[in-house]
Amino acid sequence: MDVEVDVTVIGSGPAGLTAALHAHESGAKNVLLLEREEELGGILKQCIHNGFGLEQFKKDYTGPEYAERLIEDLEKTNVQYFLNTMVLSLSPDKAITAVSPEKGLFHIKSRSVVLAMGCRERPRSSINIPGTRPAGVYTAGVAQRFVNIDGYLPGKQIVILGSGDIGLIMARRLTLEGAQVKGVYEIMDYPGGLKRNIVQCLNDFDIPLYLSHTVTEIQGRERVEGVVVSKVDQKMNPVGGSEQSIPCDTLLLSVGLIPENELSKEAGIELTPITKGPVTTETMETRVPGIFSCGNVSTVFDLVDYVAETGMIAARNAARFAAGDWKKGRNPVEIIPGENVRMLFPQRYSFKDDLILFVRCAKPIEKPVKIELSPVGMRLKRLYARPNEMIRFKVSRDKLKDVTGPIEVSITER
Amino acid sequence: MDIEKKHFTCIVCPIGCEIDVELQNGNVVSMEGNKCEKGKEFVLQELEEAMRILTTTVPIKGAKWAMLPVRTDKPVPKRLLSKVIEQLADIELQAPVKMYHVIVKDVAGTDASIVATRNMKKVNQRKDAKKDPISRKEG
Repeated sequence: MDVEVDVTVIGSGPAGLTAALHAHESGAKNVLLLEREEELGGILKQCIHNGFGLEQFKKDYTGPEYAERLIEDLEKTNVQYFLNTMVLSLSPDKAITAVSPEKGLFHIKSRSVVLAMGCRERPRSSINIPGTRPAGVYTAGVAQRFVNIDGYLPGKQIVILGSGDIGLIMARRLTLEGAQVKGVYEIMDYPGGLKRNIVQCLNDFDIPLYLSHTVTEIQGRERVEGVVVSKVDQKMNPVGGSEQSIPCDTLLLSVGLIPENELSKEAGIELTPITKGPVTTETMETRVPGIFSCGNVSTVFDLVDYVAETGMIAARNAARFAAGDWKKGRNPVEIIPGENVRMLFPQRYSFKDDLILFVRCAKPIEKPVKIELSPVGMRLKRLYARPNEMIRFKVSRDKLKDVTGPIEVSITER
Repeated sequence: MDIEKKHFTCIVCPIGCEIDVELQNGNVVSMEGNKCEKGKEFVLQELEEAMRILTTTVPIKGAKWAMLPVRTDKPVPKRLLSKVIEQLADIELQAPVKMYHVIVKDVAGTDASIVATRNMKKVNQRKDAKKDPISRKEG
């Protein structure tokens, strides 16, 4: 079986669902959405907490409600979707090979492609914790799936390493389900997750948060019996003599997410180490013409609203590309991180559209800050800058039209 | 009378203002740190009765998955969260269930309802039921 379409979207989480809908709304006639799981929605299905869509829909949805809303809209269109469909390869000329139980191995010819594969969790092996290899060490998202979809409690006495939002949310969730969460340990000297999650998920349930701490040993042969935690110094090295043994049967890891770009690499798409995602322009086009990228496969966003916004932009431009309404135009300029900028997205500006820029600072500043775009001469003010809170802002096309060289972004004290 | 001091972190928006209040006879005599009116409202509500949305799951039979996600349809008093969870302990639903189907009314004496947050279709047998040797354990 072979399929020929205008736009193919790979992945049906918040980015992919939004992209499929908007490719259709932007006039693409044949839109195909591919999902490797047995239903649409991606990670939203297990994120049962509220706080989704506050900016996009002005509603406080839970993850499943947010997904259902997009799926209901999608069902009203003629967008096709294939479930249980795994994309095996993507070539630079946008040929897709996929496999599913119903269709077997098949090929898709697509005028443009939107990458929306999302990200995955960093596992134990990526942070090198010494000790034995017992059962009971899970990433926070896996534990979330066990509890919220499959109905299993991963343990009774839990230590959480890392204060990312999923870890914080699981601390509350496991407490409500009757487990005892002994503490959240964070190697940095500031929390990884949003402040509101520290309050609602930890403080509300008297769960302690230990900053500048990490797990330095996992104990137990068959099952986790305890962990050793240590303070860390400013270089994040464990401080000798600060070790403390904590009995527990489960260790959850909430130590970061990495964009899932195996397909992108195969298609010859250039990635950047800053985001671990494709290098894109403000149109979300990657360095391979006609392949666009959005959501957490591009860079790990803090809010679903941002994920959806990039999905919308990618879809609109993928539809234009598929319709042949795509001029090469001016050569793109680089957007580069300056003082106190750890991450920025997108990395290039191609003079086609307004620029929506996402930046993350390297060091927290709890004082009024200025964000400067040089040489554009643009200067924005914010009340503070925190590495765990992405800053989003829009720069109009008009302001950028005279730029000829790289644009440098900095975040400094006012 | 003694002045009682309390500290709050506002959760209305991502700024998360650190707000200090001073109370005398339970009345607010000063408030510092809130950047807007919403922060003031938040603190007054926290002092009167802290309110939270509760999201959790209940078991469901005859569906593809073991658990159905649910929520309170409005914020409920924080001190009653464990009561709400207790009241849901014995519930087991049967698929199909529609999103926003009311599962419990006036849960734990609040005037909030517990509602489903997704559609869950009926299936003949859970896909993994046969090969799954471990039955679901009660938490």
